[in-house]
Amino acid sequence: MKETRLGEFEEVILLIVGILGEDAYALRVADEFESQTKRAVSIGAVHSSLNRLSEKGFLKSDMGKSSPERGGRRKRIYTITAEGSTVLNNARDFRLSLWDQFPDFSTKFVGISHL
Amino acid sequence: MASKAHTPPKLAIRLLQLFLRNDLAEEVLGDLDEKFQHIANNNSTRKAKLNYWYQVFNYIRPFALKHNRSNSNYFIMYQHNLKLTYRNLLKYKSSFIINVIGLSTGLACALLIFLWVSDEVSMDKFHKKDQHLYQVFLNHDENGLLRTGPESPGIMAEALQQEIPEITMAVEDTPAEWFDENFSLSDGENFIKAKGKFSGKDYFNLFNFPFKHGDPLRSLTDKSSIVITESLALKLFGTTENLLGKMVDYHLLHLKKQAQITGVIKDLPINSTIQFDFVLPFEVFKDIVGKGMHWGNYNAVTFVELASGTDVTSLNKKLGNFIKAKLEGSNVTPFVSKFSNNYLYGNYENGTQSGGRITYVKLFSLIGLFVLAIACINFMNLTTARASRRLKEIGVKKALGAQRSSLIVQFLSESVMVTVFSLLVAFGLVWTVLPQFNGITGKFLSLQFNTNLIVGTLGIALATGLLAGSYPALYLSGFKPINILKGKLNASFGDVWIRKGLVIFQFSLSIIMIVCVLVVYQQIEYIQSKNLGYDKENILSIPMEGQAVYNTEAFMTELKKVPGVINASCTSHTLVKSGSYTTGVTWPGKNPEVEIRFEQAAVYYGLIETLGIELLKGRSFSKEYASEDSKIVFNEAAINVMGLEDPIGKTVNLWGDDMVIIGVVKNFNYASLHSEVEPMLFRMNEEFYPYGFIKISGNDIATTIQNIENFYKKFNPEYAFEYTFLDQNFQAQYIAEARVSVLSRYFASIAIIISCLGLFGLAAFTAERRQKEIGVRKILGAGNLKIIGLLSNDFTKMVLTAILIALPIGYYISSNWLGTFAYHIQLKWWFFMLSGLLALTIAWLTISFQTIKAANVNPVNCLKDD
Repeated sequence: MKETRLGEFEEVILLIVGILGEDAYALRVADEFESQTKRAVSIGAVHSSLNRLSEKGFLKSDMGKSSPERGGRRKRIYTITAEGSTVLNNARDFRLSLWDQFPDFSTKFVGISHL
Repeated sequence: MASKAHTPPKLAIRLLQLFLRNDLAEEVLGDLDEKFQHIANNNSTRKAKLNYWYQVFNYIRPFALKHNRSNSNYFIMYQHNLKLTYRNLLKYKSSFIINVIGLSTGLACALLIFLWVSDEVSMDKFHKKDQHLYQVFLNHDENGLLRTGPESPGIMAEALQQEIPEITMAVEDTPAEWFDENFSLSDGENFIKAKGKFSGKDYFNLFNFPFKHGDPLRSLTDKSSIVITESLALKLFGTTENLLGKMVDYHLLHLKKQAQITGVIKDLPINSTIQFDFVLPFEVFKDIVGKGMHWGNYNAVTFVELASGTDVTSLNKKLGNFIKAKLEGSNVTPFVSKFSNNYLYGNYENGTQSGGRITYVKLFSLIGLFVLAIACINFMNLTTARASRRLKEIGVKKALGAQRSSLIVQFLSESVMVTVFSLLVAFGLVWTVLPQFNGITGKFLSLQFNTNLIVGTLGIALATGLLAGSYPALYLSGFKPINILKGKLNASFGDVWIRKGLVIFQFSLSIIMIVCVLVVYQQIEYIQSKNLGYDKENILSIPMEGQAVYNTEAFMTELKKVPGVINASCTSHTLVKSGSYTTGVTWPGKNPEVEIRFEQAAVYYGLIETLGIELLKGRSFSKEYASEDSKIVFNEAAINVMGLEDPIGKTVNLWGDDMVIIGVVKNFNYASLHSEVEPMLFRMNEEFYPYGFIKISGNDIATTIQNIENFYKKFNPEYAFEYTFLDQNFQAQYIAEARVSVLSRYFASIAIIISCLGLFGLAAFTAERRQKEIGVRKILGAGNLKIIGLLSNDFTKMVLTAILIALPIGYYISSNWLGTFAYHIQLKWWFFMLSGLLALTIAWLTISFQTIKAANVNPVNCLKDD
């Protein structure tokens, strides 16, 4: 069953995974989320979200390098799948179209052409 | 710089590892560790530790938790267990069948007893006023001993209601049994015999017999009213509608009257000790008794309703002198006892309540539980005996990591399943056996599937299953896998002794039962064939009524002329049970202090001859002599008690009248063989003798009876000719014994079945244990027969022990039972030997299968594992 809806939190997490690229593991995503949104979040919550997104098919993951700070343990790196990109694009397009219809905040410049 | 001294809190780590999914462990611990280090380096160790705890707690989320804690996935485990159980029972059909036989027998027994007990306990409890419904009893002081009886003066009820405030209602009554078959009703044409009685006007106010038509509270106020049951209405009128106000004639002995129907009651419930077909007002009875209605005559029973909150003990103290105050020299003390208790607690010894049927209720409940317990123990026995079959399964499961608790659950559910299946079989058994059971117990039990029954039986089945399966479950799940895989069996000595003890116990029980069956059978044979001192063959017993009563002389003379009739007479004694007795006989030389009971019978001419009673001295009553009403005949026992030599011609005094002794008869059994022949007197000074006896020829009985019937129709047209054979009446006295005979046979068979099961289990067990020993013996040259003998030896010793234990107990029980008979057989030695031999044979048959199988085993198979 393809879930194509994305919660707000999930969308943000998904975007951050895209932003971090090769460094997208639970801890980094959580830290990035905190620094970007100024909201405190536990690693567990982020992990849970990442897990759910994987189950929905928007993310895939692989084990990455280990390091001494982690006591020699490897980390799990998440990457966005094709479906994930699609769903992100859909979400953005949907938002943009709504914002277009919204008075005052139009992204279209009325009467001014783009040079 | 990362300091090596910083480590995350160990407790938190342990907690995490407790609940975290194993596959997530690496990445989560890694992340947490990195975070810890980060904070520890930038802030403080303390903050890092706090944060670590925070993170750990935040990982308590559904996705991160461990999935399968051994049996958290119940459904799959149950499916698996079911599959295993099913396969097991298919593979080992014989074990399964034996278990089912054992359990279902036990459950069926328990079920029957449960039905019986619940019926007994519910007797008479249905009346609305049950809590306050009491019956009056009188304690008669007879020479210092108290005899208790329900008979009370007919005028007592009224007096009680008026004088004692705690008694809000008192009703006088006459039990229908007193009038036996002497009541008959007619709708104008047909006369029907029915059970009737006289009751006070508040009777239906006190007792709850639902009315179909009519008003219970007013049905007996009119002296000419009558209340009948539905079935009587159907018999008389063919309908139960529109009967109020109709007239019926009723006859009681020589009393003829008419009455108007004021009520039709629904048929009386089965669980009521009070049974009747119709009720007449007590006032009519008062008229009949006339001057006999006084405080010295106990010709009614009295029921009372007590006010709420009455203290019965103090009321009884108050009532103590009630009758003594009204009648000088009275030797009776009344007291009240709850009516519905009488059924179970009806025995009184010397004035105090001493049990009654309740002992049987308790006894049978115990027996039921006992049988169930034995069935459970047998199940345990058999299951653990065959344990070695499941060893591989258990070993593998444990090696793969099964927890003991899950194995226990598996075995418990197996035994519960077998028990539930046995319960179904037990229901089937009970359903088939119930008609016969009802016949034996005289009840009308039925398997109604009401909530009570279902909950009760499911509860019993569950308890049995859990109990029976508990030991095997613990035993089997306790095996150490290493031992199993090595091939070692777990067998402790204590185990064997328990099993042996159990088998010995069960066999002792069986042997006792066999002895009882033999003794009861012999005693009943003896009863049938014993010479009673009179000839009970081919004697018809008829009630004397109508013209036969008014004109006894003509009746008898004509009757004797009927072809096939040898002799006829009548008497006031039933000849099969003790009737009335008196202590009012005095003779020259009698000790005035001592009271001797004389069984007394009023007889007509020719009774002694009709019955073939032997006349030892003198003569019996005869038409050739005048004033026979002042003559008396005694039996041998009476003469001995009076110590009279040459009694003929001597005078004794009966109830104030002088009587001359004209004859002495040989002792004969006038009651059941339970009682000794007591002194008995025969007199001829009555107007009316209710029981007629006709001696007919043994040839062509049917024709003779037809002839008599024809004669009767002519002589006594208003009454239908009814008769029974005297030997039938005689048999009826031994209903209790017949029941004991049948019941003991059933119990014996059950005991034997269960013992065989137990023995079979033990045989299986020892055969397995001694496999290696047998193998070695065979290799060393022992023949098959020798091995069989060796194995059987053990069991023979056990059965012999059982015999030794059982025989003395059997002797004790049977001689006690025989002691209730004044006339009984002697216990012969061959009873006991036969029982022992029977037990031995049964035992050998049971174990033969096992021992032969064990002896035939190929020694290679049992020794190759070493």
